This record gives sequence, C-alpha cells and structure tokens, in this order.
Amino acid sequence: MNFDYNQEALKNLKIEDTSLLDKLVDYRSAREAHLKKDHSQRDKRLSLQEAVSEYVQDGDIWCDSSFSYVRSAIQAWWEIIRQGKKNLQAIGSPNTNQTYGVLYGTVSHVHASYAGAEMRGIDKMFSRNVKNGKVKIVSDWSHGLMAQGFKAAQLGMPGCFSKQGLGSDIVNHNPYLKVMQNPMSKDSDPCVFVPALFPDVVVIHVNAADKYGNARFYGPAVNDIATAAASRKVIITAEEIVSNYDIRYHAKGAQIPFNNVDAVVELPFGAAPGYMPNEYYWMRYFWEKFFGWAAESDEKCKEFFDEWIMETKDINGLIEKVGGLEWVKKSRRRARAAEGNNETDGVSFVYKTWENGMGVKDID
Amino acid sequence: MTNDKPMNPLEMLAYVISKQINDHEVIYIGTGLPMVAAILAKKTHAPHITFVYESGGQDPEQLEMPWSVGGPMTWRKSPMIMEMAYSFGQAACGMVDKGFLGFAQIDMYGNANTHQIGTEFTNPKVRLTGSGGNNDVASLVDKLIYVGLQDQNKFAKKVDFITSAGWLDGGDSRKKAGLLNNGPVAVITSAGVYDFEPETHRMRINTLHPGVSPELAQLASGFELVRPQGAIPVTEAPSKEILQILRNEVDPSGIFISLPS
Repeated sequence: MNFDYNQEALKNLKIEDTSLLDKLVDYRSAREAHLKKDHSQRDKRLSLQEAVSEYVQDGDIWCDSSFSYVRSAIQAWWEIIRQGKKNLQAIGSPNTNQTYGVLYGTVSHVHASYAGAEMRGIDKMFSRNVKNGKVKIVSDWSHGLMAQGFKAAQLGMPGCFSKQGLGSDIVNHNPYLKVMQNPMSKDSDPCVFVPALFPDVVVIHVNAADKYGNARFYGPAVNDIATAAASRKVIITAEEIVSNYDIRYHAKGAQIPFNNVDAVVELPFGAAPGYMPNEYYWMRYFWEKFFGWAAESDEKCKEFFDEWIMETKDINGLIEKVGGLEWVKKSRRRARAAEGNNETDGVSFVYKTWENGMGVKDID
Repeated sequence: MTNDKPMNPLEMLAYVISKQINDHEVIYIGTGLPMVAAILAKKTHAPHITFVYESGGQDPEQLEMPWSVGGPMTWRKSPMIMEMAYSFGQAACGMVDKGFLGFAQIDMYGNANTHQIGTEFTNPKVRLTGSGGNNDVASLVDKLIYVGLQDQNKFAKKVDFITSAGWLDGGDSRKKAGLLNNGPVAVITSAGVYDFEPETHRMRINTLHPGVSPELAQLASGFELVRPQGAIPVTEAPSKEILQILRNEVDPSGIFISLPS
C-alpha cells in the first residue's frame, strides 16, 4: 500500500524516509501474514529461547504488553535483549520497558505514548536518550488514541474516528493521525482519524494457556486482547500450561484465542520483576534501584541492567538474586493480600525509595 | 491516634481537591494527590462516588494508595475490569463526570503540557513522560480539574507542547476544534483555586489559600491572572476532624501528604 502521512507531523519529527512507518498500518500485509499461518489446533510449545529466536527479527515492530510493570512479558523481553536483537521499533500503551532496550541497541525507534514511572516521575534515562538521539520517536500518542488503533485492528477496520487528540500538539507530532471532518455531519465536526495498528510481534504473559495458545489471565487486559489479534506474530508466555479442558471449564477467563498465537512458552515468573495478578508482587528493589540509577547516568544504568538482565541468564538467576524461595513466599502472599484474596495481617505495602547502599533485603 | 501537628500545604491541597468532588459522581483518577483527595471525599461528604482508571480497573475496594494505575489497588475486588479502549470509551460516551490531571506547564487557557520542556520535539531540553491518558481524560471527561504546584515556569505564558487541550485560544476555540466536553473548570494549586472566566475562558482567581495575597499569586504566574470583582475569598481550610481522617484513615503511611523531610 502507498500511504499518505500527516505532512506536518513528518516535518516536526524530521522523518524523511517514510518507509519505516508503513508496516504498522499496512492492514493488508497483516492479513496476508495471518492467512499464511498454519491455522490448525496444534501443539505450539517452545522454549523461551526458541520462541524468541524464531519469532522476533531485527527491525520488527515490537509491542510492549499489559501495563508497564503489571503482567508485562518482561522475561521474554529480557530474552530478546539477551539474544542481541537489533533496531526494533517499540510500541505500547504504556511503553515503559523499551527504555532499557535502548541501552543495548535493541530499540532504535519508538511509537511513544508514556515513558515514566508514575509516582516516581519521568524516566530520566529515556529522556536523555531521546535528547542525544540514541532513540528516535517516530509517532507520538495518547494512551486512548493508541488503544483505539489496536482496537480498530482487532475489529477488522482500517481505522476509526476519534474525539481524542483534537486541539493538541499530539496530532502534529504523529504521522498516522489526521484531523478530518465527520463525513456524517453537515455541520463542522472535526474528528481525529486513527488508523488500525498492526505490530509485528507481541509477547503476552498470562496466568494459564493450553498448548494450542488459548490463554486466560486475570487483572486488566489493557490492550492485550486487541494486540493479540492485530500482531503478525504472537508469543504467549504462561505461568502454567493447562489442558484444553481446563480452558473450557474456566471459559469465562479465556481471553486470547489459539488462532492468534504462534508459540506457547511455559514460563513461571515470566512477568517478574513486574507484578503478576494472583501470583506475585513487584520485585520492588529492582524498580526502586532502577529509577534511582536512571536519575544518575546511563553508565550506572548499563551496569545495573548488565547485572540483572545479562548475568541472570534466566528466571532462576533472577529469583535467586532477590532471595529465592523466601521471596516467592512473601511475594505471593503480598499479591494475594493486595487483591483481597488473603488477609492483610502482617503484610506490608509500605513504599521505600532506594538509596545508595541499600540491598535487596532493605526493599523486598 | 490523634495527630495535632499543624496542617501542611499538601494536606490543604488534598482537602481543597476533595471539595471539587460531589457525591454520586464517576471520576477518572490517577495516582498521587487526586487519589488521596478522592478517598478523603469518599470518607466524608461523597460516599457514593465511583473511581475509574485508564488501565481498566473500576470501583476497587479501597486498601492502600496505588503505586501504579495498573496495580492491584486499582482493581482490588472490582466488580469488573475494562480494557483500556473501553475505559476511555465510557468517558467519551458521557458516563464519566470528572477527571483530575497534573501538569508540568499550564497556560492561561488551561492547556497543559506533560510532553517536553523546550519547543523542539526532536531536541527538547527535557523529554517528559508524554501523554499517557492525560490527553484522553482532558478530551473526554465532562469536567476537568488540574492539580499542581504553582510557580512562574509552571504557570507559563505559552506551554511548550499542548498535551491536553484546555480552552485552546480562549473564546469558542475549544468548541470549534470539535472537542466534546466542558473543558477545564478549575485549577487547584499550592496558592489557590482558579476557575475560567465564562466568555474569554482566561484563568481567574476564585479563592486564595490562607496567607496568599493576589499579588503573591500573580508573582507566581508567568501570565496575568484575571481578578474577580470585589474581595477574593480565602479558601476554606479543613477542620481538625477532617485532618484526622486524612492522616489516620486516608494516607496513614503519609506517602502523599507528608512533606519531604
């Protein structure tokens, strides 16, 4: 397809070669990719290494899943970084985890919606890297506009008309968005046209999946149901692989259908160091120290991520690092108490910011 | 436990924000002070309000302050959890009354910036967080309220990037741009409470906090604040009882209402 982008946005973003923008909105090629897949209900189980190696290619549009550090497929993302994949375009609402991918050259371009740590403020590492050109923002979004793009893709529409973004500078800094008159109205009724968005690859971490890829999860879906349908390649990582009968029995919880899915990886703690609904709490030390170091320098951050991502090799290494089975016990209890599925007696949710010299035990 | 320390400015802010919330409203809320204020409202004058979050959580059973809007405190025992697109969709469809947003910069028409300091997008002085849900909340909730600290940089003559559309250039420019809702109705800062003049939609002093003169408020602004006719009322401060509820029941760990030591 031959796309007609928002010219003002291209100018503001200094994008000359628009070919790097095409795949995200090329619904015909996404449909072709989906048609070419083997649609049979077959065993799709792979190891994490195999799944990442086979389904993530350099230059892909990679979609961050769920919500930053809640049920996001962080262990798969770390494996993508470990395997040295390069020049991915990162998208996601929010797209928090892209920031350390930039350090390793894993991410070179960003479709930006939100990079930060909420209460902890802005992501200073990402901020520095935008400024020094290590990463380039190629489209700028609000959460809602991006969510509509993903949803339009899931619904099989080339795009949708939105009442969000109007009057803002976002529409001047996003080549995909266009302010247009509502064709149904004789009166002036500006809307924002949002094209359907089709990432190349998304990894979604779930509570349970069967070997075909039918998946269920708890907590907010955020954009995962939409991006599973939209993305050309979908990897499911699951706390547990269950039988197809188990999925049928708990049918209310099945949210991603098997035919969206290319690979299924059994990966307990696949959302760590993030939070997993019904399973485990954030590894708070990790996040607090990261935000602390992000404010310091990229060198500190690189040291930190070398230690946590490169040296841990896999989830075993990570869990050992934060205290092994003791952490598992405490973390599970804290998550269940937080969700109201267990008593809160003796469970602490107190916040602590990391200070130089603090160890894992100080902020568990 | 009683705690008779004098009220601090954050506690004042939390109380003032809480007074913006009416009972039975559905409100879009993020983390931070607006959350403290909303919980205070729920425990005092507005017990039947419903909280909605962009991640999809809705009407959670309240336990602790949420660390993240995706975290369990925003959907603890929620009767339902929506997808992100549907969560904003209900605001577009007219089912959400109010939203609260922070800002890095805000101008005289209530246009707010959380994108960048500096005007060059590809080479900003500082890249901030970007929109997140801010633009959506500002575009969709019926009444929008901004909350933040006030100084000459934050109250900017011109914002470096319009993340969230306020009254744009004033007058009827917001309506002409096609935006749906009422737009910003109030700005609550460390100095006072502002509203918008009905015709021009310029920011106007509504009340000032105890000890703040109009001159001081003006000094802490990069643009001219509209002064109403007559004497400017002093913002009502919380009673001792309200302060106790705030300290003991709403934010007992003092995450948001303690001043940094």
